Amino acid sequence: VEGLVRFLTHLAILTEIYGILALTLNFQFGLTGLANFGHVVFFMLGAYTSTILLLVAHCSFPVALLGAIIVSGIFGFLISIPTSHLKSDYWAISTLAFAEIVRKVFYNENWIVGGGYYRGGAYGIAGIPAPLDHYFSSGMYPFFYLAVTSFFLLAIYLLLEKLTQSPFGRALKGIREEEVLSEALGKDVAVFKMKAMSISGALAGVAGSLYASYMGFVGPDQFMPLVTFVVWAMIVVGGTGSNRGALLGALVIQVFYSSTRYLKDYIPIGADRLASIRMVIIGVLIILTILFMREGLVEEKKKHYKL
Amino acid sequence: LNLIQIIIDSLIRASILCTLGIGLTTVYDILKFANFAHVELAVAAAYIGFFFNVTLGWNIFISAIIAIILTGLMGIVFDQTIFKRLRSVNPVITMIASFGLAIALRNGFRAIWGPRPKTFAIGLQKPILFLGARITMVQILLLGITVASIIILHLFLHRTKLGKSLRATSDNPNLAQARGISTETTIKWTWFIAGALAGLAGILYGLETQIEPDMGFALIIPVFCATILGGLGNPYGAMLGALALGLAENFGIYFNFGQIINLGGLLHLIGPLWIPTAYKSTIAFSILIIILLARPRGILGRKIRKE
Repeated sequence: VEGLVRFLTHLAILTEIYGILALTLNFQFGLTGLANFGHVVFFMLGAYTSTILLLVAHCSFPVALLGAIIVSGIFGFLISIPTSHLKSDYWAISTLAFAEIVRKVFYNENWIVGGGYYRGGAYGIAGIPAPLDHYFSSGMYPFFYLAVTSFFLLAIYLLLEKLTQSPFGRALKGIREEEVLSEALGKDVAVFKMKAMSISGALAGVAGSLYASYMGFVGPDQFMPLVTFVVWAMIVVGGTGSNRGALLGALVIQVFYSSTRYLKDYIPIGADRLASIRMVIIGVLIILTILFMREGLVEEKKKHYKL
Repeated sequence: LNLIQIIIDSLIRASILCTLGIGLTTVYDILKFANFAHVELAVAAAYIGFFFNVTLGWNIFISAIIAIILTGLMGIVFDQTIFKRLRSVNPVITMIASFGLAIALRNGFRAIWGPRPKTFAIGLQKPILFLGARITMVQILLLGITVASIIILHLFLHRTKLGKSLRATSDNPNLAQARGISTETTIKWTWFIAGALAGLAGILYGLETQIEPDMGFALIIPVFCATILGGLGNPYGAMLGALALGLAENFGIYFNFGQIINLGGLLHLIGPLWIPTAYKSTIAFSILIIILLARPRGILGRKIRKE
């Protein structure tokens, strides 16, 4: 029973961290219509910034978290400067390229800074401190961390819900549906896209920071383009445009993803092959959802006005 | 620094990118979506060729021809089962479906053939010396086949009835249909040609290097970069783009950027400055982003067509 509780807590923490990523990607794609194929970059920047601040600058966790938010938010702003006027397919490819460039940098660079010490590179960085861990026994700590991630997930959910219903959110939906019309109505489409990218980038950075301190380790292999794809699966299956859909999708995909990991104890397939088959199923799931249930599990609430 | 060697390496790289880019760009031209699964057809051909050549022990040429025809047919099958149902939806949705297909295929290859690299049964290639540069028979064959297929494609597009109807459909599908050209038949042929060319690229790439499940993903960004350089939707642009990118990637790492900053030796601001070899793969990504900054529709990009 104890093992099961530990597994469920672990699953819940990961689901909530991925829930933040799904919510923020949904804000970009579901709301604004920006098909970001490099969403993992914010997760990666959040995780690395937080780690470097904790280990090199010896900051406290709140400062590290704030740093992660700022850096990934600024990055969201920066990548939207050259790309905000691009068509969706060019946008998708350039975000994919951006994410890979950043990953290559973290993969190749391992320098030593002043008094602090940073050795990242291909091997990653271990020994990332978790916040307030000396107040809890190791058995109790996951429950505390679950409370922390729940708090941030809830805060981000409420914030994005509020933004969705605000005039700002309506303008973003307008851009998604009719970009030219929004422009004709006097909305500066490029500025709205930049704002959407900065906000969702900053919030996705929170997920990175929480992930780094939970795992205690970051490395370039954790931020493969595959992560972006898993988050895409979450919002497509859950239903794009709906925050609740994004959360439900995160739960469904994460449960599927984590629980099938234990199948190798019951069926004679190697762990590596099982991981591949799992991704095949997720890929097929995306295609089937798009073909037969385009709205996903939770439909976006749309107001219909009668003329 | 051996100039001839760098040019040969550039041409080999350009051949692969060109053969892949032509298919990507023609499908985009007719169906208006960026097909992220395109490069996976090349990997499929490499593994199918491997199956016939190594597992069954057949002749490499026969194996290659079977693999190329099969990937051409795979293109048609994917279109009929997935993309045909998405003709009338937003191209972003179709693009995400192709992304799902790409992941499913890539992990399917990994599940079947495992993560370790495979090679065709052609034995070790002994390079021959050519003007002080080294080139293998496989590489000469690769360059020859690429040039031949470009010429055949050109003659096909301009001299045959089918090729002309293909160009007509890409130019104006409604008008083409009004003149009695069946759009769906043309689309099927486009998929077959795109798939077969991707298959050819996969076989050539597999002969030149190794066959790995992730080789397709490593090619996505360079191929998109080459086609966008030439303007998405323009097969001749894709050829030029591939050549430009091949040269840029191979010359880039030998280029001393310190000389530019020092104005060719006039100043002595900094020492020699090279792109580290570890970042060779980011050259394509960076070029892609710079082009999109300057020319959002590529260098040879067509003017926006008024509907």
